Amino acid sequence: MSFIELKNVCKQYANTNKKAVTDFNLEIEEKEFIAFVGPSGCGKSTTLRMIAGFEEITSGELYIDGKKMNEIAPRDRGISMVFQNYALYPHMTVEKNIGYGLKNMKVPAKEIKEKVDWAIEILGLSEYRYRKPKNLSGGQRQRVALGRAIVKNQKVFLMDEPLSNLDAKLRVSMRNEISKLHRSLGSTTIYVTHDQVEAMTMADRIVIMKDGIVQQIGRPMEVYEHPVNKFVAGFIGSPQMNFFDVTVDGNKIMFADGNSIGVTDEMAEKLKKYNRRLIFGIRGEDIKFDPQNLDIYKENRQQAVIDNTEIMGNENNLYFEFGGVTAVARVSKYEVCKIGDKVDFVIVPHKIHFFDIDTEEAVIL
Amino acid sequence: MFTKKQKRINVVLVAVMLVMSLFFLFPVIWMLANSFKTDAAITGDMNSLAAFIPPELSGSFLDNYISVLTDTNFIRYMANTLFYAAVLIVLGIIVNGLAGYALAKINFPFKERWLLIIMLLMIVPMETIITIHFLFIAKLGLLNNIIGYVLPMIVNPFNIFLFRQVFVSLPDDVYEAAQLDFCSPVKYFFTMVLPMSKSVVATVSVFTFLNVWNDYLWPSLVFTSSDLLTAQIGLNAITSNENTTMGQTLAVITLVTIPVIIIYALFSKQIVEGVVSTGSKEG
Repeated sequence: MSFIELKNVCKQYANTNKKAVTDFNLEIEEKEFIAFVGPSGCGKSTTLRMIAGFEEITSGELYIDGKKMNEIAPRDRGISMVFQNYALYPHMTVEKNIGYGLKNMKVPAKEIKEKVDWAIEILGLSEYRYRKPKNLSGGQRQRVALGRAIVKNQKVFLMDEPLSNLDAKLRVSMRNEISKLHRSLGSTTIYVTHDQVEAMTMADRIVIMKDGIVQQIGRPMEVYEHPVNKFVAGFIGSPQMNFFDVTVDGNKIMFADGNSIGVTDEMAEKLKKYNRRLIFGIRGEDIKFDPQNLDIYKENRQQAVIDNTEIMGNENNLYFEFGGVTAVARVSKYEVCKIGDKVDFVIVPHKIHFFDIDTEEAVIL
Repeated sequence: MFTKKQKRINVVLVAVMLVMSLFFLFPVIWMLANSFKTDAAITGDMNSLAAFIPPELSGSFLDNYISVLTDTNFIRYMANTLFYAAVLIVLGIIVNGLAGYALAKINFPFKERWLLIIMLLMIVPMETIITIHFLFIAKLGLLNNIIGYVLPMIVNPFNIFLFRQVFVSLPDDVYEAAQLDFCSPVKYFFTMVLPMSKSVVATVSVFTFLNVWNDYLWPSLVFTSSDLLTAQIGLNAITSNENTTMGQTLAVITLVTIPVIIIYALFSKQIVEGVVSTGSKEG
């Protein structure tokens, strides 16, 4: 049996018809780092709060370490949690905040001090030991919240959007710190975020949710390379995957603006049954402008006028009208284009994704 | 920076406020100045500005105070009242605070109706229910007993409402974090909720103190034994005594006023904060 197991977990709030979480099934191994990701209102925080015990499970079962937890109080589930708004005790110093749980666990004072010293040391909070939360910056507060969670030595770590109140730069460094902390402590971590970058960079496996329903569970590259539907394809990856409504006509895929690209006979055969109309998806980095790729895929060469450019420093995003929509391509920083430039590009054929136009499910070729 | 026009307006405003404060202060100054005088001096100074000026320091300067404090039980009455106030502050914070917390954070049937009923109780004047209180306490045999005095005074709908308004805006995630830190709900109330709501605790304490300090009717019904009397009843007993001079009367009144002024001076900031924060919107 897995370390944490959710079986058909559902959540329905009183006085509503719609389920906030529907049939959530997941098995989490010990020491695994799992990220729940999805847009706001998708049920990811609700699921986390059901695991923590702050929300009742309407139906389904939750097991932690082999024990059924549905009716167990939060404090007895062997979890610690980091909250989005830190939830520090405002009238206590950093030291007292971190040690409060241990004190209530009746841990001897000497041991509390050792553990608090250790947490303060690894989180770099030595200077702030005697400060109260109101005199700390957002990043420092988040570290105190982490400290409070790690000293208790619980087996499961729950994190509810812990970095969403921090500025972009701090987010990156805290991301790194949390990953390192996870590896050194070896605890099982469930991390809720709406930021797919956090999920991709930190997690062993990602659970992508929408409207209370799990869309896909998989390793970061798995969900990136093989999204099961249009939602996952669009949600994971930045800039977003380009989607075009296309029609399959024999060996040709026709775009709304009359452009077309050719496909192999084999692919055309497989696409036949999808009623001719499909959604065509391609990631920005699989649209190529460099001479080498233009040469390899020369039979599918297309032309476009650059609408807008985004200089990212390490790479450039190029926007252009194609197939009836504004498409974006991600190119290296050495491929410089100006707005208004007329350029040739190709779409890498084996990187194309197809989705059913009605169900939006991925079409496996 | 102020413009010239604003500066001129400010000068006028300050002047008006000075006059107003003098208007309110003059009885107090008069009381204070005359509390050091003999009756003859008080009547003699009555029609002149000297009525607002204390007499010169001499051996008899504090005579009125000394006689009040030594010849009567007034110190005892003041000490009694301070003790009652302390007991009622502690019990009032626990009982009204817990009620306010329940109304703010705990879900139970008809919660909103309960709150409404408690708010309606605020408009019932004490005088209309005091007879019932009295009969009840008398039936229990608690007349002339501190328990009989304190019991009906503990619950205060206004204080429950004040607590509720502040507790409603406390973040829920702190409670959740405390739960995971093995903190029981009762411990959470005393070690987290109250310290996080210092200003409302101070406000309620001050209001309770003033209530007890200034209350005349209820203690005069419950207490007949002179050992248990409060400052206000003592004040009345002393001033209505034929042998008490006008100077002594003013000295007693001054003594009764001093704790109130001290409390206001110490807690005015918290009171304002407390009252302002209870007006804040629900979070």
